[in-house]
Amino acid sequence: MAELDDIIHQPLRLKIMAALNALPQSTGLEFARLKKLTGATDGNLGAHIETLAKAGYVSVDKAFVGKKPQTTVTATAVGRGAFARHVATLQEIIAGKQV
Amino acid sequence: MIDSKEASAALADIDDIVRRVKQSQLYDLASIAAVWWGVLVFAGNVVTWLWPVYAVYAWVAVDVMGVGGLVALRLFNPPHHPHGAAFGIRLLLVFVLFFAFGYLCTNVIGHFGPRQLGAFWPLYFMLFYALAGLWFGYAFVAIGLGISALTLIGFFYIGEAFPLWMAFVNGGGLIIGGLWMRRS
Repeated sequence: MAELDDIIHQPLRLKIMAALNALPQSTGLEFARLKKLTGATDGNLGAHIETLAKAGYVSVDKAFVGKKPQTTVTATAVGRGAFARHVATLQEIIAGKQV
Repeated sequence: MIDSKEASAALADIDDIVRRVKQSQLYDLASIAAVWWGVLVFAGNVVTWLWPVYAVYAWVAVDVMGVGGLVALRLFNPPHHPHGAAFGIRLLLVFVLFFAFGYLCTNVIGHFGPRQLGAFWPLYFMLFYALAGLWFGYAFVAIGLGISALTLIGFFYIGEAFPLWMAFVNGGGLIIGGLWMRRS
């Protein structure tokens, strides 16, 4: 019986992973865009990205575009796999294979 | 463990965010295309207003550069689509049919003068914008209907300066609309 991924299951982290997983592999989203898509605050989003990064589910790249710092978050292969398993588990729950 | 109701809610959240990411990516590309066409259309209308005798050449150049820009945009942003090549050919056919049908209406069925042509092409273009918006996002509908309304106002109430009006309404409208789409 598959288990839900505790790291991904938190609502904001689920949204972050869903957004990143919707992109082609090795394509990331800028922090500001991710913030807009998820509706999270700076602090909250930063904290949850850190949790995902510690688990190896996302990579965080910081660079300067002109004089502005730009943070880009990308789902790793490990993160994509974990997300796919998490979604499969959710579907199994709905199908009644798990209680 | 969660129940099926919570699982359904989680999957609905995922679907919603995926839809928004895809729309955001589409808006990014569409905004570049809108700004590009806006600049060209602005220039085309200014040439039409200042040197009407060169208008026909200006509009051929606008159309060629406009479609060329879209092709370049597509080459730099290849679609992540299982039938990418077929989709590209369909896109090219869309433009061929678009211009062929427009030409048929304006030059074969009707014999439009410069003023009618100046109103027809933006209205025709914006019709597709508005229709696309029914599938791809309200920004297209808003831009399409907004520019169409201003085009009709200009057609009926603006005199000799109609091309200049269209430079700002159509060209400027696409530029502002494209920038707004980028922020949506």
